[in-house]
Amino acid sequence: MATAPYNYSYIFKYIIIGDMGVGKSCLLHQFAEKKFMADCPHTIGVEFGTRIIEVSGQKIKLQIWDTAGQERFRAVTRSYYRGAAGALMVYDITRRSTYNHLSSWLTDARNLTNPNTVIILIGNKADLEAQRDVTYEEAKQFAEENGLLFLEASAKTGENVEDAFLEAAKKIYQNIQDGSLDLNAAESGVQHKPSAPQGGRLTSEPQPQREGCGC
Amino acid sequence: MSFFRRKGRAAAAGGRPPGSSPARPPGPGPAPPGIASGPREDARAPRSGLPADDVKGKEQEKTTDVKAIKTPIPVHSPQRSTRNHALLEAAGPSHVAINAISANMDSFSSSRTAALKKQPSHMEAAHFGDLGRSCLNYQAQETKSSLSKTLEQVLQDSVALPYFIQFMELRRMEHLVKFWLEAESFHSTTWSRIRAHSLNTVKQSSLAEPVSPCKEQELASSPPAAWLEERLEGSSTARLLRPRPGRTAGSQNHAGLPGRHSRDTAPAPGKPHAGTRSPPAEQQESAKPSVSNRNSPSSALKDLSGKLMKSIERDAVSTFTKYISPDAAKPIPITEAMRNDIVAKICGEDGQVDPNCFVTAQSIVFHAMEQEHFSEFLRSHHFCKYQIEVLTSGTVYLADILFCESALFYFSEYMEKEDAVNVLQFWLAADNFQSQLAAKEGQYDGQEAQNDAMILYDKYFSLQATHPLGFDDSVRLEIESNICREGGPLPNCFTTPLRQAWTTMETVFLPGFLSSNLYYKYLNDLIHSVRGDEFPGGNIALSIHGPGSSPDSDSIGSTDGSASQSNVKKANVKILKNFDEAIIVDAASLDPESLYQRTYAGKMTFGRVSDLGQFIRESEPEPDVKKSKGSMFSQAMKKWVQGNTDEAQEEMAWRIAKMIVNDVMQQAQCEQPLEKL
Repeated sequence: MATAPYNYSYIFKYIIIGDMGVGKSCLLHQFAEKKFMADCPHTIGVEFGTRIIEVSGQKIKLQIWDTAGQERFRAVTRSYYRGAAGALMVYDITRRSTYNHLSSWLTDARNLTNPNTVIILIGNKADLEAQRDVTYEEAKQFAEENGLLFLEASAKTGENVEDAFLEAAKKIYQNIQDGSLDLNAAESGVQHKPSAPQGGRLTSEPQPQREGCGC
Repeated sequence: MSFFRRKGRAAAAGGRPPGSSPARPPGPGPAPPGIASGPREDARAPRSGLPADDVKGKEQEKTTDVKAIKTPIPVHSPQRSTRNHALLEAAGPSHVAINAISANMDSFSSSRTAALKKQPSHMEAAHFGDLGRSCLNYQAQETKSSLSKTLEQVLQDSVALPYFIQFMELRRMEHLVKFWLEAESFHSTTWSRIRAHSLNTVKQSSLAEPVSPCKEQELASSPPAAWLEERLEGSSTARLLRPRPGRTAGSQNHAGLPGRHSRDTAPAPGKPHAGTRSPPAEQQESAKPSVSNRNSPSSALKDLSGKLMKSIERDAVSTFTKYISPDAAKPIPITEAMRNDIVAKICGEDGQVDPNCFVTAQSIVFHAMEQEHFSEFLRSHHFCKYQIEVLTSGTVYLADILFCESALFYFSEYMEKEDAVNVLQFWLAADNFQSQLAAKEGQYDGQEAQNDAMILYDKYFSLQATHPLGFDDSVRLEIESNICREGGPLPNCFTTPLRQAWTTMETVFLPGFLSSNLYYKYLNDLIHSVRGDEFPGGNIALSIHGPGSSPDSDSIGSTDGSASQSNVKKANVKILKNFDEAIIVDAASLDPESLYQRTYAGKMTFGRVSDLGQFIRESEPEPDVKKSKGSMFSQAMKKWVQGNTDEAQEEMAWRIAKMIVNDVMQQAQCEQPLEKL
């Protein structure tokens, strides 16, 4: 039965990774709560937040796992990479070191997630233009070389935050449509919830051209 | 026991007590870069008492063979007091100061600290009343998920092992597993037999031989060159069995065999001596002063031990011939030097076979399996089938869910819908905090740890907590004292609330989850993964979009492209029922919609009888109904996956299978929706 809060058809699992202090939790908070946490404490281990978005007319719930960036949590957080449909790899445009560490994060991501996982590179703190330390172009190039989506965003102002999550979701959805992502595989990072009555269809997507269900 | 939901999480422990002082060697196995849940386990150890200790002992043994374990290794450590000392040393302040501070602490926490400094004990109930009493019986598996396995665990697990063997057979590498198993079995049975035999003979004699029980002692002297050449050239079993009377120099201890025998008395004819006496007892016996008489064994003894030796030798040779000899059907990948070494150990002096002859080869094979095959296995449908078997077995533990990332994905969603996600979030965060702290083994920055702990405190415990969980005052005070401890919090800082959160999830939410549609969906996805990989027909039907939809479709990937085209046109779908026979499903005649539609809508019917003579339910079960563990569905799924035949349940599973396939068929032909005729 499709009750109001649960009327999404899919759940995508995301992870957010990156150096400490780049703004992963703030991005999540901005996305999920539409607020900027000015003074947020660092993440212990891992946390997750959720929000429902819409892609191509489908309601999709994003279950976003925000990982701790501190090195000491690196090993625990690796456990959460598996089975992620999408990964947000975040760096801070005002700190070059966070950009330089991207290859290490990318290696982890590639090794630990599925081959189909959509990875999007996010350059956070775009509002701090004056202290920029990484140009848009070079990051864009890095992203292209590695097959990543790329956006610069600001958790503080909200600029491009929604887009960041949405772009990844669109790509994932597209992968589902063209078959490169099997949404019914257990480790795909995607839960598919048919909006038909329970106990019924398991694999079909809700098809608008179908007549109303028979009940 | 780590909670690294990683493939192969929770490898057996390296047995290092966290926080052992720097001077002490870290113990067997390399220190992994990460974590151990030792302290958490540790912290629970006093409550659950012995079981954790036993597990630690066992796991310690298990890991001695394994070298580079990829995943972090959990740590059990009941030695709290030593750890405390070490941590305190690391942190700086003197014990005196600590004791003074403890003495001044709040009476509650001081008694607790005092308890911690004592031996582990079942103190819990006395302090916290009924809170957590049900958790006194923590199972050793508490920090492992049976859904996520390391190679080592798989090799020891009789449920998972067949799936692994099947997988390896597909890759034509099953000889690796089989060799490993045989070698392992040879190793343990040989040792048992030797010990039993020697215990038996020692018992008989009044003058026990004072032999140093160095079982590790290699066969002395160089391998006989002649033997080697024969072995390598012709490798005929018969030669190996040729008696070698000339070698009974008997002066050395060879795996403790002859040395243990008393040469003076004839042993009783092979009475099986139940190995109730532990090895230390053996050693004590042999340490008794007695006449050392290693020369010229009596013939009677020789005969008896000769039989044993021959039998051991036969076993060794058989294993060798099957897997190691150059003309074996599928030799394991070891070097020539190693082969020679094994030969030497098998046919050493005195005809003694070294029971450890295969150990090195075993570890090489183990590594080969781990590096080259195991991760594929974890992605294979065989592993999915194993997971399905676990999940439908009727006993799914919370640990199985929380430590398996794919299950956790569904469980998180469930908890969110139940509006209890904070419990889970707290548990994840605190558990992670404790693990990473424990992994440091006492070498951590106390201030940093305190800051981390304070973050959790502010979020979940403080009176102005942003996400209060309802912990009562006693817990809050305990946490406060743990955090404010001089030197920083210990890795068991949050044990009490963690346990409460665990119990809450286990008793309140897990049953509901296991009966929920989410769980059903998870099982379905697993089954789907299995079917998608296993059946060419099924795969084609399901991967309507083309190849590459499942990672393990090597063998069928090439046919996908063309086959999917033709299949769409095919009206019949060939699917495998119970993996044995093929049945043809006529897509045109089966309309999945018929299952959902109630042709008698409006009439209060519970169901109808289909033209197949089967009763089709019309009513849907209540969503909140708790299915019993042996629910028909789970049994049906289980049997469907495993291929057992039980008429009624098979039918039901068959129904589901048909339903799924035809649904997808329908999807594939969505331009021409099929109408029920």
